[in-house]
Amino acid sequence: MNGLLHGLLYGLPIITVVLTATALGLWFERKFAARIQSRKGPTMVGPAGILQPLADVLKMLQKEQIAPAAADRFLFELAPILCGACAVATAAVVPFSPTVIAADIDVGVLYVLAVNALILIPVWMGGWASNNKFALIGAMRAVAQSVSYSVPMVLSALVPVILAGSMSLSDIVRYQSEHHWFALWPTIPGLPAFVLFFLSSLAEANRIPFDIPEAESELIAGITTEYTGMKFGLFYMAEYIHTLIASAVASVLFLGGWDGPLYPGLHWMVIKTLLLFASIYWVRWSLLRFRTDQLMMLCWKWLVPASLLLVMAAALYVKAGGM
Amino acid sequence: MSMPMTEATAKRRNPHFRLDLYEPEADLMVLNFGPQHPSTHGVFRMQLYLDGEKIVKAVPDLGYLHRGVEKLCERLTYVQITPIVDKNDYVSPMHNEQAINMAFEKLMGIEVPRRARYLRTIFAELQRIASHLLWLGTFALDLGGAIGGGASVFLHCFRERELILDLFEEVTGARFHYNTHTIGGNRHDITPGWADSVKKVLSVIESRIPEYESMTLSNGIFFERTKGVGVLDGELALELGITGPILRASGVDHDLRRDAPYHAYDEIEVKVASQPGGDCWSRSVVRLAEIRESIRIVRALIDSVPEGPICGYKPIKLVGQVKIPSGQIYSAMESSRGELGTYVIAGGGEGNVSPYRLKIRPPSFHALSALPYLLPGHMVADAVVILGSLDPIMEEVDR
Amino acid sequence: MALEDNRSFTHPLYDFMLSVPGLSVATAPIDQLLTWGLTNSLWIFPMATSCCGIEFMATAASRVDIDRMGSIVRGTPRQADVMVVAGTITVKMAPRVKKLWDLMPEPKWCLAMGSCAISGDFYRDLYPTVPGIDTFMPVDVYVPGCPPNPEALMAGMLRLQEKVRLQREGKWAPKETRPETAKMIMPALRRINDPTRDPKLDDAQTHSAMKVAGSGALEEQPTQARQGVRAEPIAKVDGDLEALLRAHGVTEIPKDAPPLVPVERHRELARALKDRGFRQLVTVVASHYLAKKDKAEVVTEPEYYEVAYALRTPGRGSQVVMWRVRFTALDGIDSLYGVFAGADWQEREQFDLFGVRFAGHPDLRRILLPHDYSTFPLRRDHASDAPCAPWR
Repeated sequence: MNGLLHGLLYGLPIITVVLTATALGLWFERKFAARIQSRKGPTMVGPAGILQPLADVLKMLQKEQIAPAAADRFLFELAPILCGACAVATAAVVPFSPTVIAADIDVGVLYVLAVNALILIPVWMGGWASNNKFALIGAMRAVAQSVSYSVPMVLSALVPVILAGSMSLSDIVRYQSEHHWFALWPTIPGLPAFVLFFLSSLAEANRIPFDIPEAESELIAGITTEYTGMKFGLFYMAEYIHTLIASAVASVLFLGGWDGPLYPGLHWMVIKTLLLFASIYWVRWSLLRFRTDQLMMLCWKWLVPASLLLVMAAALYVKAGGM
Repeated sequence: MSMPMTEATAKRRNPHFRLDLYEPEADLMVLNFGPQHPSTHGVFRMQLYLDGEKIVKAVPDLGYLHRGVEKLCERLTYVQITPIVDKNDYVSPMHNEQAINMAFEKLMGIEVPRRARYLRTIFAELQRIASHLLWLGTFALDLGGAIGGGASVFLHCFRERELILDLFEEVTGARFHYNTHTIGGNRHDITPGWADSVKKVLSVIESRIPEYESMTLSNGIFFERTKGVGVLDGELALELGITGPILRASGVDHDLRRDAPYHAYDEIEVKVASQPGGDCWSRSVVRLAEIRESIRIVRALIDSVPEGPICGYKPIKLVGQVKIPSGQIYSAMESSRGELGTYVIAGGGEGNVSPYRLKIRPPSFHALSALPYLLPGHMVADAVVILGSLDPIMEEVDR
Repeated sequence: MALEDNRSFTHPLYDFMLSVPGLSVATAPIDQLLTWGLTNSLWIFPMATSCCGIEFMATAASRVDIDRMGSIVRGTPRQADVMVVAGTITVKMAPRVKKLWDLMPEPKWCLAMGSCAISGDFYRDLYPTVPGIDTFMPVDVYVPGCPPNPEALMAGMLRLQEKVRLQREGKWAPKETRPETAKMIMPALRRINDPTRDPKLDDAQTHSAMKVAGSGALEEQPTQARQGVRAEPIAKVDGDLEALLRAHGVTEIPKDAPPLVPVERHRELARALKDRGFRQLVTVVASHYLAKKDKAEVVTEPEYYEVAYALRTPGRGSQVVMWRVRFTALDGIDSLYGVFAGADWQEREQFDLFGVRFAGHPDLRRILLPHDYSTFPLRRDHASDAPCAPWR
C-alpha cells in the first residue's frame, strides 16, 4: 500500500515532467537543428516559438483519424498507445535524485532494458497492421535492429552492474558517488562501455545514424506512414521520450546520476541528461545514415565482441579487488 | 524476345529479364516507388521487385511530367521558344537557353559577338556551380534523410545557391527562368559592379567547399554508402548515351567543353575531372571537382570580358522576325548533367518562322536509362542513392 | 468532424462538453485554443513536380525558412495539413494527385503554387496537361508566379493561416480569386503563325521596333541567314567517313541535312560506325511528313517518316556522325538495339510520340504517355490541343 502511494506521489509528477520535458525537447531540437543549418527555426508561436510543440499537439488532436480499409483495425489502434505507454513506463525506475524515484526496485537495470526492448512489439504491430509496404519494411528493419542492438546494450549495461555489485539503479548511483563515476574510473571497462551503451541506445531509439526504420528518403515515414493525427503523435512522442529516458539511464549508469562536485541533487541529473540529449541531436543533425546490412555488420562484428570483452574486463577488475 | 547480342552486351545484366525464370529466396514483393516520393527528384516511378530487401528487377516508369514541350515548340516562333525551354532543366535554365539558341544560330550561320560568348560562358559556369550545389544537397538528403544530417548539408548548399541566384537576378531581373539569351547573343548586359560581386560570391563558395566535403566526401558513412554502389562501366554508359559527370565518373574522359568547344571555351583550358570507379562515390567526387573547376573558369574569364555588342542579330524584341529556311541540324553543349543537344528540322512550317520539328536531347533521360542495369542486386536503400547520384531532372526527362 | 445538425463545426469533444452541465462555458476558449493550434502548425505535403518544387525547397531553406511559422514538410499525406501543388500536373499525374489529396486527413487545405498548377500556364492547351488543378480538386490559396519567389509562397502560407482562422471563427473568408486566365488564352495580338493574324500588324510591329532600336536598325545589320547563305555547311562529313557512308548505299551527301541511308542497310551502317569509334548513341529523332496533295486532292507524294540517328566519338576532338532513314510503312525500320543498348529507351520514346514501330525492339511500350493513350501526339496530323478526357 505504501509502495502504491509512493508510486502515485512520485509517478504522476514524473510522468508530467517527462511529458513536458519531451515537449521542450521537441522545441529545443527544432531550434538546435535550425541553428546548425543557419536558420531560425520556429519563431512565430509564442516567445521564440516555444509553444510550437503545444500547437502541434493541439493540431494533431483535431485531425481526422483514418485507418486504411485493409488494416488490422485492432492492432492498428493499439500500437501507438502501447508504444507511448512503454516509453513512459521506463521512466518509473529512473532515480532522478535520492528521493525522486517512482519505484526503486532491486532489478532496475533489468527493468529498464526489458521495457526498452518491449517497444519493438508495438512498433512491429503498427508496421504490420498498417498494411502498407513501406510500413512493413520499416517494421522489419526496426525489429532486426532492436533485437541486434539489445545485445551490446545489455552487455555494456552489465559493466556498471558488475562493478557496483547491484542491479538497482539507485544503488549504482550511490556506489558511484562513493567511488568514481564509471565513465571516468575504472577507465578501461567504464568509458568504452559508456560509449557502447550510448551508441546502442541511439540505435534503440532509431536516431541517426541508425534511423533506418523510418528512413524518410526510402520509406517515406517508415512504420508511421499510415498513421494520422495523434496516433502519429504518440509514436513521435514515444521516440522523444525514449531518447530522453535513454540519456537519463546512461547518465545514471555511467555518469553518476544525481552526484556532482557541488550540492549533489536533482539538478545534476537534469544537466547530465540534457547534455546527453543535446549530443544525440548534435549527432543526428550532422551525420548521414547507415544501410541495414552495414548496421548489422557494425553491431555483430564490432559492438557485440567489444561489449563481451568489456564485461570480462569488468569481472577481472572486480576479481582483482578493485584497485 | 531474344536478341543477337554483341560480346559486350552478353556479359551485361539484361534489363528485360523474365521474372518467372528467377528463383527467389522469399516471396517477391513489388514495391511501387513513386511517382510522388520524397527522393524520386520529381515525379518518377519505379516498380521494384524485391527479394527480401534485395532488388531483383527494376522497371522505371516515366512521363508523369510529360507536357508536350516539343509539340508546343512546333507552333511557336523561334524567339518564343527560349522562355519555354527554360523550364526544361529547371535546375540549370541558362544551359537550356544557350543550347537552343546555339542550334538556331548554327542553322542560320550567325556569329555571336565575343562579349556575348564570354558572358554565356560565365553564366553557364555559374549555373553549373548552382546546379551541382543543388545536386549535393539533394543527394545528401537521399543519404541522410530530411530529419537528419542530410538536411543540414542540403540547407547549407541552398544557402550558397541563393548567392548565385542573386547574381543572375541582378543581371536578368529573374531568379529562376531568365530568358536572357536570344538568337545571336544576349538580351541583358552585365551591370557595372557585377564582376566584383561575382568574385566575392566565388570566394565565399570556395571557402565553404571544405565544409561540404567534411560533411560528405570525408565522412565515413558517406563513403560506406556510396563506394562500390551502382557501378556503371564506361562502355555501357557510352552505348546508353550517358554523358556529363556520370560518364566521366565511369572513366571516360569526355567533356564537350574541351572536346567540341563552343562559347569561349576554345580560349580557355578546361581541366576535365574524371574518375575510374563508375560508382556513386566517383560521381560525387567528379561533381565536387567540377564545382572547383567552374570557379576557376569564371575567375579566369570575369576580368577579361571584352567590350563590344552583346547581340549580333537585330530583332531582339520583334516576335516572329526570325526566319530560318529549310535545314536540319544537331547542336550540343555540356550542361551540368551532360550533353544537352537540340535537333532542329527547320522549314516546312508556316512561313519558316517555327521549327518543323524540334527535339531536345536531355542528358537526364539517358542517365535514367541506366537504372534497369544498375539497380538489380542492390538494396532498397541503395536504389535511392543510385537514383540520386544520377541527378535526374524529371522535367527534362519527360519534357 | 462533419457538417451536420446546422452546426458549422462538430467534434466529439464538444458533444461531450455540451452534454455536461456547466462545461459548455468552456467550449469557446477551447475552440480558440484549438484554432490557435490548427493555424500555427500547418504541416506541408509537397506535391512538387517541377520548377516550382525547387522554389518550394528554397522556401524551406535557410533564407526564407518556412519552419518559422511552424510548417514542416512531411513525406506522407497522412500527416500533412496543406498540400502545396508546385508544378505542372499532367493527365498522367492528375489521378495520383487526386488520390494523395484523398489520403490526407481532414481538415486539409490546398495551395496552388505557380501558374502551371493554377491554370496550366502556356502548357494549358496542350494534349498532356491539366489546365489548372482546380478542375479536379479544391484550391484554397493561389500563389501566382513562374515560379513564385519563396517570399511569395511564404506570404501565401500566411494568407492561408488567416483564412483558416476566419473560417474557424465563423467569419466570411473572402474567396481567393483565381488569377484570370480566360483573357490570356487568346493573346491580344495574334501570334505570328496564327492564320487569323492581321498582316498589317507585322508592319506595325516592325515599325515600332525600329523606332525603339533607332531608325534603320534592321537595314544596318543584314545577316547571312537573310540572304540564304550559311557560313559553313551544317553537316560536315570528311572524306574517310564519306567513303564508308557511300559503301552503305548513300548516294548524295546534302549540305543542310544528314545523309539518307537506305532503310535496310542502316543497322549495318551503325555497326560499322561503332567499330570505327562512334561508340556513343547520342540521339534518335523521328519526324513525320504528311502526304502532299495537289489541288484535285490527288496524292502526289505519299506520307512518310524519317528517323535520324546521331553517333559520337568520345574524348578529345569529339566527332558526330548523323544519318537519316526514310520509310513509308510504320514498321519499316530496324531497331538498333543489340548494337547500342541505349536504343532501348530512345526508340521507345520515338515510338511513343510517333507510332514508329522499330522491328526487333525488345520492349516497345509507351514510355512517356499513359499506357492507355490511344494516339501518337507528335505526328503532324495530331492537334496539339487534342482533348484528353476527363480533364480537357
